[in-house]
Amino acid sequence: MVLEGVYKVRSIDEVVELLEKYRENAKIIAGGTDIVIALRNEKITPKVLIDISSIDELKSIKDEGEFIKIGAGVTFTKIVESSLFQKNLWGLYKACRLVGSPQIRNKGTIGGNIANGSPAADSIPPLICLGSTITLASKNGKRKVLLEEYYKDKANYGMKEDELLVSIDFKKPTENRVLSFAKLGLRKALAISRISIATFLELDKKGQVTTIRVASGSLGKYPMRELEVEEFLCGRKLNERTIDEAIKVVQQSMDERLKGRSTLPYKRVAVESMLRESIGDGIKFLDGVRA
Amino acid sequence: MRLDVVGKNLIRVDAYSKVTGKALYPQDIYIDGMAYGKTLRSEKPHAYIKVDTREAEKLEGIIKIFTYKDVPKNSHGVVFKDHEVFCEKKVRRIGDPIAFVVGESERVCELALKKIVVHYDELEGVFDPLLAMDENSPKVHESGNIMYHYKIRKGNIKEGFKNSHAIVENTYKTHMVDHAFLQPEAGVSFIDDKGRITIMVATQYPHYDREEVAANLNLPQDQIRIINTNVGGAFGGREDISLQTHLALAVYTLKIPVKVIYSREESFIAHSKRHSMIMKCKTGADKDGKLLAMKAVIIGDTGAYASWGTNVLRKAGVHITGPYYIPNVVVDSYAVYTNNPFAGAMRGFGVTQVPIAHEQQMDILAEELGMDPVSIRMINMFGKGSVTATGQVLTESVPLEECLEKVVEGMDFYHREEEAK
Amino acid sequence: MKDIKLNVNGKDYTLNVDENIKLLGLLRDELGLTGAKEGCGEGECGACTVIMDGETVNSCLVMAFQADGSNILTIEGLEQNGELHPIQQAFIDVGAVQCGYCTPGMIMSVKALLDKNTNPTREEIREGISGNLCRCTGYNKIVDAAELSIKYLEEGRR
Repeated sequence: MVLEGVYKVRSIDEVVELLEKYRENAKIIAGGTDIVIALRNEKITPKVLIDISSIDELKSIKDEGEFIKIGAGVTFTKIVESSLFQKNLWGLYKACRLVGSPQIRNKGTIGGNIANGSPAADSIPPLICLGSTITLASKNGKRKVLLEEYYKDKANYGMKEDELLVSIDFKKPTENRVLSFAKLGLRKALAISRISIATFLELDKKGQVTTIRVASGSLGKYPMRELEVEEFLCGRKLNERTIDEAIKVVQQSMDERLKGRSTLPYKRVAVESMLRESIGDGIKFLDGVRA
Repeated sequence: MRLDVVGKNLIRVDAYSKVTGKALYPQDIYIDGMAYGKTLRSEKPHAYIKVDTREAEKLEGIIKIFTYKDVPKNSHGVVFKDHEVFCEKKVRRIGDPIAFVVGESERVCELALKKIVVHYDELEGVFDPLLAMDENSPKVHESGNIMYHYKIRKGNIKEGFKNSHAIVENTYKTHMVDHAFLQPEAGVSFIDDKGRITIMVATQYPHYDREEVAANLNLPQDQIRIINTNVGGAFGGREDISLQTHLALAVYTLKIPVKVIYSREESFIAHSKRHSMIMKCKTGADKDGKLLAMKAVIIGDTGAYASWGTNVLRKAGVHITGPYYIPNVVVDSYAVYTNNPFAGAMRGFGVTQVPIAHEQQMDILAEELGMDPVSIRMINMFGKGSVTATGQVLTESVPLEECLEKVVEGMDFYHREEEAK
Repeated sequence: MKDIKLNVNGKDYTLNVDENIKLLGLLRDELGLTGAKEGCGEGECGACTVIMDGETVNSCLVMAFQADGSNILTIEGLEQNGELHPIQQAFIDVGAVQCGYCTPGMIMSVKALLDKNTNPTREEIREGISGNLCRCTGYNKIVDAAELSIKYLEEGRR
């Protein structure tokens, strides 16, 4: 790699100026935990690096009452240490807690997790379940994009070369709703997810599903909603039998999506316990709330 | 008797330097005016090669590019001299060294590596040791692919199986393993104040290294010094020589200090692996579980070079009977060349693979005979005075029974087994 | 080249650094602090761990220019006036040192953990060093050393 210019900037304005100037020749660096490896392996060869890790505005988590807003430069450690992601937002805490290692969590940022675009990014399925919106800034102003759409339709919603991811926000779930998460990695630390499942769940008094969102990681080209299983479970009572059937629905979706992939037979089996764990944790939490 | 060491906690001599970061590994050594070296390695597993270094030599900052032409005696190896310092005509595995670039910085050396043109005339390779044993398979070395055959013949195997009440026959496979010692290979070479070629390197065998370097350079051994630095893990992976000769050649020719550091990726492709093995075992026992016969064929994939393949497959053959007395034994153990990464020493030297086979054979036999897995071992295991399959009499302490009893007790084996039912 | 200022082990530096180098390269090649090691170059092994503004980082994944304005603590900065840090002493006393290549990084991870949590459980210690590989597989001794450090640090506070 041969870099010609590096900038350590203090404001978003400076970043968008530089992006406007250097466009495809520039890359944003924050925690560096993915991009420095890509530079080392020459997977990318930018001429300019713009370090955003010292921009205070990007480093705060704001409780705005109805919404929570997370700056793109917030590290996983900061999320794990925040009191905001306990209780019914525990799924996001858990996902961030399972990222890499202490060193990686100290540097890696939630914005980087999104911008890097890995299908295995741990924090994305929970954020998708929450219906998160991301804010992108450029010289021409800001725009908001639904995180789910951002992945699904890159042409329209993806990040342009002059844009900076500024923040992620989502509506705080009410007490009767819960976000949960399960991850399968090959070992406890420093594991890239083989499968991850996040669920967002609301049950009525009879234990019937009134709201459900399921999002997966590493089960496709990008993290995505699992609409078939959501549709199947909505309105049903959650028990062993319905969850068993839900697993079959997810497997069917996988069979189509991952057809011909060598990992499919393994993932088909492994997804069972991931879905069970994720939904199970959600039910357990809601049982606790009602009790 | 007063003991100064046994039974006491002693502080290791290198502990202070290691907890303070002062301990020097080769990558920590800097010498004024030193140059850097990088190795060009084969990207094909089996091919004839032609190398053109002319463009790379023109780069500013490149001091010299070494190839086989520069090596006085181009062969080495811990047992058989089947490695080349730099491949001359043929590469036999991905990672075979082809050239060594010396330049003013690591970066210019990397650029030069990209500018060296290697023309590969690819040959059919062989990657399955079973196929490699076939006479019609491509030959990795001219001598043929079966590098070593070790045999044990004891008792009367036919009788043994004829008298057996239960016979189990299975094939087991283990995979290749990398040592992944934490400190990738590195070294520094310079000419000492007495004019001797001096290599500072993390190695398992400074004396063998000296022998090999001296032979390759065609110099007397007293002209070569190998200084062992701190060694950041080895586990067998630093038994074969790696960058020592490259460094020696460079400093001998250029008379300037040279440093080499491998990346983790290069480390993986440069050094040996644990042998993957295919183990076919047939074991027979009488009604009471007493072992009567074992027939085993072990095929170890030694990859492109012999390294310690003879010793590893001999040890595997010796130990395939496990720690059990068996009166009738036939073992055939082979080390086979393929175009895979070469295999050599790694923790256990062939003794680590075979329990996968002999212990599962014991479990399966026990199940066939309706016995529990501890009892079948107790009645067959070695004790003091036992004779092994190779005829060795175990005259010293053999506390295996005591060991297994403690394990059974410690893990509450019978209680757990009861619960599992 | 880029001008940066940073503090390493209590000492201020003003340096002109190559845009392409990492913090690890800066510490080792420019400042001669070779205690932090490169084992993998991609944040898997933790041998390059240093403390940057109070938190452990893999210095192989931090670009040198990013360290502008930061405070860095490396293994060389732990020994004060010829006296070992209690964690270093505990590693020696327990015998938590084998090949030693992971040791500086391990000690920095234990330090960062104990700075935040003065009395971690064994499980928390394991989690705290989960970003550091020891290929000699001396983990139990390392966890023992961290536990002994807790005791040494408490005694020091009294």
